[in-house]
Amino acid sequence: MPHSASTQPVAITGLGAIGAPGRGVAAIDLALQQGRDGLGTLDLWQTELAAHYPVGQYRGDLAADLALVPGFEATPAHLARLSRSDQLALVATAEAAAQAGLSPADFARTGAGAYLGLSVCGTLASEAEYTSAVMAAKQGSRKRPPPAALFTHEGASSLDALARYFKLNGPTLSFMTACSSGANAIGLAAERIARGQASVMLAGGADSLSRIAYYGFHSLQVVSPDGPRPFDRDRKGMSVGEGAGVVVLESLAHARARGARVLGLVSGYGHSCDAHHLTAPHPQGAGAVAAMRAALQSAGLQAADIGYINAHGTATLDNDRTEARAIAALFGENSVPVSSIKRFFGHTLAAAGAIEAVVCVRALQQQVMPQNLGLRQALDDARLDLVTMPRQAKGMRHVLSNSFGFGGNNAALVFSTGD
Amino acid sequence: MSVIVSGIGVISALGGNAHAFGESMAQGISGCALHNFTRLDGSVVSAPAYVAVNADPQGLIEPRKLRRMFRLARMAAVCARQALQMAGRDPAAMDPARIGVVFGTSFGALEITQKFIDSYIENGDGHASPLNFMNSVHGILASQIAMDIQATGVNLTISQRDISFEAALAQGMAALESGKVDLVLVGGADEITPLMHEVCSHVLMVSLDPNDARGLDPAASRSTLIPGDGAAVVVLERQGKALARLQGTGVGRHDGGGPDVALSLHGALGQPALDLVTNGRDGFVRSAAVYDQREYLWAAKGVNCVSHRGNFGTWATAGAMQFVANVLMLANRQYFAPLAAGQPAAVGKTPAVILHDAASTSGVHAAYVLTAE
Repeated sequence: MPHSASTQPVAITGLGAIGAPGRGVAAIDLALQQGRDGLGTLDLWQTELAAHYPVGQYRGDLAADLALVPGFEATPAHLARLSRSDQLALVATAEAAAQAGLSPADFARTGAGAYLGLSVCGTLASEAEYTSAVMAAKQGSRKRPPPAALFTHEGASSLDALARYFKLNGPTLSFMTACSSGANAIGLAAERIARGQASVMLAGGADSLSRIAYYGFHSLQVVSPDGPRPFDRDRKGMSVGEGAGVVVLESLAHARARGARVLGLVSGYGHSCDAHHLTAPHPQGAGAVAAMRAALQSAGLQAADIGYINAHGTATLDNDRTEARAIAALFGENSVPVSSIKRFFGHTLAAAGAIEAVVCVRALQQQVMPQNLGLRQALDDARLDLVTMPRQAKGMRHVLSNSFGFGGNNAALVFSTGD
Repeated sequence: MSVIVSGIGVISALGGNAHAFGESMAQGISGCALHNFTRLDGSVVSAPAYVAVNADPQGLIEPRKLRRMFRLARMAAVCARQALQMAGRDPAAMDPARIGVVFGTSFGALEITQKFIDSYIENGDGHASPLNFMNSVHGILASQIAMDIQATGVNLTISQRDISFEAALAQGMAALESGKVDLVLVGGADEITPLMHEVCSHVLMVSLDPNDARGLDPAASRSTLIPGDGAAVVVLERQGKALARLQGTGVGRHDGGGPDVALSLHGALGQPALDLVTNGRDGFVRSAAVYDQREYLWAAKGVNCVSHRGNFGTWATAGAMQFVANVLMLANRQYFAPLAAGQPAAVGKTPAVILHDAASTSGVHAAYVLTAE
């Protein structure tokens, strides 16, 4: 965020993440370091496609994960009222809150709110219940579509769950800009703090796997049978994933006043719309360039100040070509290290930008750039300095993360070291 | 900083544009009627509802652009053009990066999502409809508007149950205040589909009584609501020819023990004398309990509270209709008497300052203050 007299720096004091590589930042650190992808066969429901198209599914026991959250009642009745997306969001948030050292009472006292990016929300349950009701109707049964599934279908369900458990009384909003949702939620929450409208915010994104997303991306013919190979010349598409990423944001002054450890800063946020096509990006990446440029401007930085770019890098033909062109147009060819972590998690949709925010902050903390797993031979649309192995980056102070979504919705975040 | 409302577009059961909406509101016309809803088992239920009229794009949007839009997206896109036309703004003559779109929708593209699911149920998991998939995302309304008017600035979609529109309003105002855009289209839209009606009727949320087709009495009903649908889009700008002025917004929760969102906003604005408080009282038993408390609070301050859900019905983003009604009351210097079962309630004074107090049963809470220019 621009550090002018009227705004204030935004500190990150807590990180939480969950996804195919595992639960928790430490597990994800290890997977990234070892180059171990989280892809596998879908087993959340039965489908003929599962054998052919891997997914980034979280394999842990969410009920057990939630039982570890202090004070959380992980009873079957309580869990039944939470969608899988809600549960992923709660687990990630609990980790972030614990690292920040903030209890529900602290959140209530500070008037904290939460902005979450979501897209499929509780669809995993609602689509199954609807399908069941349709099939029953075809067979002459009068089975009714259950209302509970429709109500957890809404994005607000995750926010209401967070508000109840973490005692939030500030604004709790879900931002639904498809695959840029998580990044937009973090950027907008950071702006709220920068403007002095909040001291503490939870921000991030969450999405579970769902039939709609899995069959939908398959219908668009952008799903790869051998997993995503971002920026590879022979890439065949993406893998759908699930997960959540959450950060605790505070004004730097608030964080310092309470002696919190500052893990990094949200220093810039840019946003744009292609206004071009419902799914295809602008061919020259005009919107992507605009979002990245706005993020740099917001951070008060030049392109040369960025030490690493965490790309959207879905491994679809269109995304990687246009993103590579956009990066080259703004930063120059081979000028800044770039990687996509989509092969580790799959494309976690609304959670992607939030999980990648967590990974970016860890990259700054560890001074190591994560690798672009799956790359065999780089695309030739633009020459990028692709990070093929974890790379040391001593002195790296600023990184940029891209997230792009349906409708040409583009978000870019800049993170900086907290020192 | 306050911003102005310079244009409105609206499609509802009360008509297909702001003029028809305003005339109906002024004349006390209810948009409620009996509509047929087909259940999953093929049976048909005739029930009262406020179903929006079809969007008329004539003179606003080229027909070819509408071909691939579903009903809700058409309504949103036409409303956006109506609002721009009223504001006297030609987006083609503006810097596209300085035009934003912020939309609130709770369920988004519900009809098209259902069609997408139907496509893989009918054709198999590997043969779902790509067109329905790309149209099923919540952000489709804001995206379609952006593509139509070539707006490349801020483009956001917010979903937060009954305050989705009010939250979009707050975010749109913030986009203007931050200087990111010079003009922002803020909208709200949701649709009543047969499936939604069926689910809501199973939990006794909606009225199935044909006698209720005369319209809801929001104050008297403590059982069911009468559903509806529609879209509204307003143009917000920093300056220009104003219909009304948006003085401020607030968003938070009323279930967390924090400061009262509406009272805090009122206080932050210097406690202006309020002529009217509008709210989302919709006759449903749970929201009636919430609004009983809210109205008690305002009554203690001597302020009249009304809900116009008897005129245009209830859905998650019906707050967008209330916003349009409030703007029209201020712009036209008139008071819209709320309908109670089709009959105008007591006459009130023409407002110059209106506070809207939207408290959802889910715990979220939003408020805004509008004033006459």
